[in-house]
Amino acid sequence: MQQKKGYVSFVLHAHLPFIHHPESDDYLEESWLFEAISETYIPLLLNFQKLVEEKVDFRITMSMTPPLLNMLDNKLLQKKYINYLDKLIELSKKEIERTAGDARLNELSKYYFDRYSNDLHVFKDVYKCNIIQGFKHFQDIGVLEIITCGATHGYFPILYVNEKTVKAQIAVGVQTYEKYFGRKPRGIWLPECGYVPEADKYLKEFGIDYIITESHGILYADPTPIYGTFAPIVSPEGVIAFGRDIESSRQVWSSINGYPGDFNYREFYRDIGYEADYDYIKPYIAHNGVRVHTGIKYYRITGKTEQKDYYNIQWAKDSAEMQAGHFLDSRNAQINHLADAMENPPFILCPYDAELYGHWWYEGPYWLYVLFKKVYYDDCNFQLITPSEYIDKYPEMQVCSPCRSSWGANGYSEVWLNPTNDYVHRHLHVAGDRMCELAYLFPNETGLKKDALNQCARELLLAQSSDWLFIITNGTMVDYAKKRIKDHIGRFTKLYNQIKKDEIDEEFLKDISEKDCIFPDIDYMLYY
Amino acid sequence: MPRKTKDSEIVDVSKKKTVAKKATTKKVDTKKKTTIAKKATVKKKADSKAEKKASVAKKTTAKKVTKTATKKTTATKKAVAKKTTATKKSTTKKITTSKPKKVVEEKVENTVSSTVVTNNLEYYDLPYRYNQTIVKVLAQTPTNLFIYWDISDADRENFKKQFGDNFFETTRPILKIYNDTMHYDFEVEINDFANSWYLQVNDSKCDYRVELARRPIYNNSNISQDYIYISSSNEIESPNDRILFNVDEKMVYFRNVKTNKTFTKSFANLSFIRNMGKIYNIYDLYKKIYNDGDLDDIYNPSSRFF
Repeated sequence: MQQKKGYVSFVLHAHLPFIHHPESDDYLEESWLFEAISETYIPLLLNFQKLVEEKVDFRITMSMTPPLLNMLDNKLLQKKYINYLDKLIELSKKEIERTAGDARLNELSKYYFDRYSNDLHVFKDVYKCNIIQGFKHFQDIGVLEIITCGATHGYFPILYVNEKTVKAQIAVGVQTYEKYFGRKPRGIWLPECGYVPEADKYLKEFGIDYIITESHGILYADPTPIYGTFAPIVSPEGVIAFGRDIESSRQVWSSINGYPGDFNYREFYRDIGYEADYDYIKPYIAHNGVRVHTGIKYYRITGKTEQKDYYNIQWAKDSAEMQAGHFLDSRNAQINHLADAMENPPFILCPYDAELYGHWWYEGPYWLYVLFKKVYYDDCNFQLITPSEYIDKYPEMQVCSPCRSSWGANGYSEVWLNPTNDYVHRHLHVAGDRMCELAYLFPNETGLKKDALNQCARELLLAQSSDWLFIITNGTMVDYAKKRIKDHIGRFTKLYNQIKKDEIDEEFLKDISEKDCIFPDIDYMLYY
Repeated sequence: MPRKTKDSEIVDVSKKKTVAKKATTKKVDTKKKTTIAKKATVKKKADSKAEKKASVAKKTTAKKVTKTATKKTTATKKAVAKKTTATKKSTTKKITTSKPKKVVEEKVENTVSSTVVTNNLEYYDLPYRYNQTIVKVLAQTPTNLFIYWDISDADRENFKKQFGDNFFETTRPILKIYNDTMHYDFEVEINDFANSWYLQVNDSKCDYRVELARRPIYNNSNISQDYIYISSSNEIESPNDRILFNVDEKMVYFRNVKTNKTFTKSFANLSFIRNMGKIYNIYDLYKKIYNDGDLDDIYNPSSRFF
């Protein structure tokens, strides 16, 4: 066996914006959560479980954002997820009948039937409808480190013109984490990896040790970090920053030659929601009759062609195994190259959106499982580690100020501030200032006024979610994102005026408190 | 022309700010002369650049359909931006390009100003303005600033009282940008139809702040000065955009995060540094990927559900 000369750290960022519509079943956006549970979160949990059962010692880090945790813990959404699965199971049963004449398709429809039936079993029977417990379990046994995120994924480099709003994002992120995981988080995934040094003091105040940054957050730091992204740095205020490794990130998600593009992998865009006979599929698509993804997909990527071949589960697994081997070899070579030149063993940070694994890259969770097994059993020169463990082992690090940066296109704020969405910021800033004004004017209130003030804080936080700005830039589901900004700013402003006039409309407050029920324990005095 | 809003919101805080900041006006006056002298040359440049930028801007909006398309146009934009910066170096540390931003897209929606709630059916629109005197600056990139502003009705009235009813017709609005790190400033002419602006600056990793002001265009016997301060922005630091390579310092500072003890190491004792070739290799690799790679490959795919 080779001597261990370095470390690789996987960090998966699990996040969805808070989408909760008790008033209607017509919001397609609610199904993002259900797809993510079935395609990403449950597969990850099942693979972690398999590794534990096979006694493979592995390490992985995941950020689970406060909106995601609130949704996973929401009774109505849990019920809706079960309905979603019931429908899919019903559809896959019909599919087994419909495809009886085609052995290959029939095998796949049986696979989907089994898979969705198992999801239902795991969700209801194993996790009692709350999969947060599943992740907590793996953290408690020491293979998974869970870190937190900003309260609603608010983008710090734009919010920080009112620092209290950044402080509140951090505070609520930490409080939510403590509620669900029973301890304090050591790390935070800064929303969109958006780093500003002004946030450091608040990160320290709430006990955060480390952050995850984009590569140039480290490489453009001041002074230049002598070990590049291969060692963490510590900011003058004491926040430790880990930077994304360029080479390994690229191998996984490059749109051109990244692993997910393998021809044997499942084709995301060919879904029976779009292809099956309309009358047949109608009960399983959107309520208004619009065709959407169902989750049942029969084709593999095949090549740069529209003539797609059927998906073959075994071939896909073979590709995942081959690619896991390639990743392992590449890290071996990378660490061999680096190790001699460094004082401490090199640290390779591999951060990704969790939903890349499973949702977009269907075989991603299996790939991780195979890779982790290989790292444990194969001849390799590195170990898996969490950022916290690395800090504890190698606490001496260079003092540098990380560079203001994000992981969005071009590395700064263009995704969240451009001509398509810049009109939003003045409203977010004014609402942030007004929230502070309210806390200042009405400190330590009780009763109805306190409820109204807390709801104001929730509306502000929901409006600040970076997702709405991202969606507007991206050009998909724009109407929904714009509506969410208007709704939260609108509700906030209305309540703000009512509180100031001391004319709180109880009915209205009750209505929006049910809809926007994120952070039940929030305390508006955060803005004082 | 300034627009009045149905929304009569006034935030006292901003007013105070405006008054407090007026003290800085004097400082401005001293710098004024040099600014004017340079203005003529700069303005020409700015005009030609504004044209160029406009064509780029068109492309960008036209192609928002796919992610790849957007990124490619961004690349083009960058290329143009680089060119312009290069040509400019010979002149001054002055404004390079400025691009007016159309008055808020949400205008139409603001015809309805109030909230309608019927049977729990809600409908909201963003207010057109908040009727506060404010200037805010944000860094979009290391060399692009975004500035938005407004002047409250009360302040507008005050200016009219002080300088005559035709104050806004006989003056033109400007933004004065201060680079407090490199100690220079420049100004951009804006217009009364805009309420925000993108502005390209030459220097990354610098502190910037912006003043909203007006200069007379016609003879107005009520106005004796040629710079009328309106309001001042927050100060921001634009991000860094390059490897600093300040490794020629003799010592490197380390901290043990467990004990909080800071200590120094001499470069000579660091194996990585002794082998300088390697550090440059890593950065060269990084630069290489960034320059000739497809940008799609470099940045996070943001592989979400949307």
